[in-house]
Amino acid sequence: MNDAPSIHVDGLTKRFGKLTAVDDLTLQVWPGEVYGLLGPNGAGKSTSIRALMGFINPTSGRVGLLGGHARELEIRRQAGYVGDVTLDRGLRAGTLLSWYAGLRGGVPENRITELCSRLELDTSRKIGQLSTGNRQKVSIIQAFMHDPDVLILDEPTAGLDPLLQRTVLRMVRERRDAGTSVLYSSHTLPEVEAIADRVGILRAGALVREDTMANIRDVARQRLELRFAGDVPADVLRDAEGVATVDADGRTAHVVVDGSAADLIDRLAGLGVERITSHDDDLEDIFFEYYQDEQDSESNRDHTHEDQGVAR
Amino acid sequence: MKNGLILGQMLRERRRATLWWSLAIAALVLITAASYPSVKEAGSAFDQLVEQMPEGLLEMMGAADGLTTPAGYLNSQLYSNVLPIVLLIFGISAAAWTVAGSEREGTLEPLLANPVHRWQVAIERLTGTTLLLAVLTLVATVLLVAFRSPFELDELSVADLTAAGTAAFLLSLLFSGITYATGAATGSKGWAIAAGAGLATATYVLFGLSSLVDLFESLRWASPWYWFLQPSPLSEGWTFQAIGVPLLVVVPVIAAGTVVFTRRDLT
Repeated sequence: MNDAPSIHVDGLTKRFGKLTAVDDLTLQVWPGEVYGLLGPNGAGKSTSIRALMGFINPTSGRVGLLGGHARELEIRRQAGYVGDVTLDRGLRAGTLLSWYAGLRGGVPENRITELCSRLELDTSRKIGQLSTGNRQKVSIIQAFMHDPDVLILDEPTAGLDPLLQRTVLRMVRERRDAGTSVLYSSHTLPEVEAIADRVGILRAGALVREDTMANIRDVARQRLELRFAGDVPADVLRDAEGVATVDADGRTAHVVVDGSAADLIDRLAGLGVERITSHDDDLEDIFFEYYQDEQDSESNRDHTHEDQGVAR
Repeated sequence: MKNGLILGQMLRERRRATLWWSLAIAALVLITAASYPSVKEAGSAFDQLVEQMPEGLLEMMGAADGLTTPAGYLNSQLYSNVLPIVLLIFGISAAAWTVAGSEREGTLEPLLANPVHRWQVAIERLTGTTLLLAVLTLVATVLLVAFRSPFELDELSVADLTAAGTAAFLLSLLFSGITYATGAATGSKGWAIAAGAGLATATYVLFGLSSLVDLFESLRWASPWYWFLQPSPLSEGWTFQAIGVPLLVVVPVIAAGTVVFTRRDLT
């Protein structure tokens, strides 16, 4: 590990009028590290990332990439960015990619071809005619094609099917192994769990927890739906380690587990479980303790919606 | 990075649309010019009509030189209204897209993730708008020069037609520049178009009514249409007010809009 972070955010605050979108955020990402920025929509992820990219100016605090600032061309030359953006709809995907490659001072044609075939993108079609997922591929390819030293990825797998999501995660890992620093924002835990070395949880613009993925897993809440062949053995479920609540509904049990589900799964052996469904898409639910007070108050919830509008 | 890639891309994307605009302007100019011999023939009747009109109305029509002279005819039928208005529609919509429009589409931000300066994107696209406006004006001017003999307009010299074309180009560049600068400074396409088209309309009305309304007459020095049409470059050639003043106004406006754009938050 080098002695300087490639991405640093130091006391970043961004206000839009009365709304504080990001509140005194501090984080560092080191070379060869993937940092997962986790938070629901409107938590300030995109705002932080747009400040890092130099698209918006911090109200206070500082941001930096690779020892400089994204406003410098030399820094942007080494950075790759996927954001919640639109690419020129009238252009063919291939035209946009070679235009961007030219702006970067040239990228080998076969590098672009390789990425396109890896993500199964047809470059002859106009971007406006592509599906959301295919447009996202164009965005990903332009961010990766020059083998950047720092990657800023804002929900990069949005709209991709699970198979391609895994391809993208593999591409991110390859860059990480080559020493690239990656800031990876997402609103779902499984995605971040699959890719991040460290995780920061953002809530209403503030970092409420920062830890290694391993430690985060210990507190993450899981919501499992178990379907049994016979009656629900509610007592067995309640006795298992980490189980917070059990709700039986006919042959289906809704179980909430804090941390590891290992003990619960052990005890289920031989009890005739036909299907296990996991509902862990909802971050507020998973990190109950961090979001609890937010859910208690209706006014705060409204605030979140406002936040969403501004942070795009 | 190489210079001119953003300009080149813009021109490539607008090739086809520019061709259509050129054809429309060519048709407009040719039909107008081709009608002159008939107007000239009916001249005495026209001139009688004109004599009965109040002077203010004639100025508003751009026909102070009379309707039946080549200069008076082209001014009243082309240079004081249709041609600049077509150029303005083209220029204002292109200029509104350069920064604010593409920002609203969402295409500006990914472009600026590449190693290009903000000012470079803005200026290359403004250059593109300027070049396309120049092409359209050139089409109109070249056709008038080429067909002035068959259409009995040869009283007008090549220099006069070139001066009038340049002045029309600069008039539309002025309002396109205001559109560009407003969009660059605010990021709002709506404000950009409102500023460019609104000022063009307001100053047009101000000039048009200036010979009828005393208040407007005392203010008409502020109207770019007054700089452009009174006196007309068709009869007076290269005047400072038609050629120099628009440039003196638009350059600082463009510079100010660009500077604000390099510093503000993208929307």
